Amino acid sequence: MSVRRRSINWNVGVRAAVAVICTFLFIAPVLWMVTTAFKTGNQAFSGEIQWFFTPTLENFAEVLGGTRLTYALINSLQVSVISSIVAILLASGIAYPLARYEFRGRDQIAGTILSLRIVPPIVTIIPLFLVMRTVGLNGSLLSIIILHVFMNLPLAVWLLRGFYEDVPKEIEEAGAIDGLGSVGIFFRMVLPLAMPGVASTALLCFVFSWNEFLFASVLSNAGSQTVTVALTQYVTPVGTEWTLIMAAGTVVAVPVWLAALAAQKYLVRGLSLGAVK
Amino acid sequence: MTTSITESPAPRKAARRSGAPAGRRPKKLGRYLAMSPGLLFLAAISLYPTLYSLVVSFMRWNLSSGEAARFAGVDNFVGLLTDGLFWNSVRVTLVFVFFSVLIELVLTFGLALLFFRGFPGDKLLRALIMMPMLCAPVVVGLLARFSLEPTYGIVNQLMRSIGLPTTEFLGNVDLALPTLIAIDVWQWSPFLFLILLAAMQGLPEEVIEASKIDGASWPRIIWHQFLPLLRYPILVGVLLRLIDSFRVYDIVYMTTRGGPVDATSTMSWQIYNVGFRAFDISYAAAFSWLLLLLVLLAVNSLIRRMVARS
Repeated sequence: MSVRRRSINWNVGVRAAVAVICTFLFIAPVLWMVTTAFKTGNQAFSGEIQWFFTPTLENFAEVLGGTRLTYALINSLQVSVISSIVAILLASGIAYPLARYEFRGRDQIAGTILSLRIVPPIVTIIPLFLVMRTVGLNGSLLSIIILHVFMNLPLAVWLLRGFYEDVPKEIEEAGAIDGLGSVGIFFRMVLPLAMPGVASTALLCFVFSWNEFLFASVLSNAGSQTVTVALTQYVTPVGTEWTLIMAAGTVVAVPVWLAALAAQKYLVRGLSLGAVK
Repeated sequence: MTTSITESPAPRKAARRSGAPAGRRPKKLGRYLAMSPGLLFLAAISLYPTLYSLVVSFMRWNLSSGEAARFAGVDNFVGLLTDGLFWNSVRVTLVFVFFSVLIELVLTFGLALLFFRGFPGDKLLRALIMMPMLCAPVVVGLLARFSLEPTYGIVNQLMRSIGLPTTEFLGNVDLALPTLIAIDVWQWSPFLFLILLAAMQGLPEEVIEASKIDGASWPRIIWHQFLPLLRYPILVGVLLRLIDSFRVYDIVYMTTRGGPVDATSTMSWQIYNVGFRAFDISYAAAFSWLLLLLVLLAVNSLIRRMVARS
């Protein structure tokens, strides 16, 4: 800390300047997407970059006023929220015993669950497509929800395990003294204390589900499109309306930025499966 | 009350340690009860389909032909190994994975070094840098198409303004794959950056101070202190990036669709083509098994090291 204070000199200035340039390179395309979303066609396609312009909400009105994206947004919201909640519930059941008890096969269970993260989705989707077809779930939101739970469960188990481990053991022992059973201890003591971590895990599951494309595209039909699938239909061979597409892209990206902002503190841990804290 | 405080935890601990059966069984049952829904779900949705797909890979089964599936032995695998498109997709995938992960690692190590000592406003910049990786790959694909568009795409506009010719990045056989790598680097560098930065900020201050007192230069400190101490976080970050870049699909779907002339036809993309466009389900299943094998070969040793640490 003391070093940090002392070194306010040219060195810091140079690093800050380089960092600002690097940051700009990362956000420039995003800025361009968002600003284009507020432009009229003429402003966007004048052949010269328009730095200053009067923003218009026309594109958003058209994108959200039509049925296609709005419908897909509702679908995505259902899929992401339900699959996140189910993933958290199922994962908690696995993660809490993994965090608290020593028992035979514990490490094997944890390792096997982690290894599921390695399998590329394209490998899983072929047999699962056939299974869903056989049981008649093809084209339903339920089939997408099931696959998103499957996708997020390993992540959630590994994260929650770390968060439940962080709850001091003494508190649980105190709960036991007060006559609580393990279910009571979990719901009344552990869960409230681990809540920030659990909520962040849920937000991350939400983000992954919201952004997912392959499962959703293979399993959805016209009625069960999620937002990522709906976006692909904006690109047509004839006359691509880029201002509309950029508005749609912005609408799809904003919920994720908000969710990540809320989970920021645990983001690194979450993205690295809790391996880096 | 007082007696229960001193007495109650003790027998529980003792029971746990000695493995005494009394009073333990219901608790143990409870934890398996809690775990069973999740584990059963995972088993149902991974084990069964995995075995199913293995069976399918030894059959001849095309959903569009209307013919019933029949046993075909190793035909699919032999077919793949003599299929130029298969080998092309292996090459494209390996080039993509190798260069994107390598460039991301080098780039983000430098970027993390830039940030780790902190400066006014570093938290804000760090939050902004995260934006690309939070965009859905589908959105990134759209954005890339728009940015690289020859006439009004921002990249070409900027290039023209400094006197460079208009370039069709995604439509050029030689440029398409490097462009996809660049897109991946842009989107996922923030991820490695955050991991490396968190790891660097967790380094013990004394190590750096001690080296400085010894008169070590920064490059020496980085090489001899940082790299060894950061081996594990680097390993985890690279492992996760490897796993993810082997599955690159969304970006390909949105930008090049495998073209031009299969220059960007990754394995995931090719499997999708075979399975869901040609509906040759059994060929796709065999293909996907070879992809899984390749991924496992590539990450196996890293995973073992990672598991050994945790």
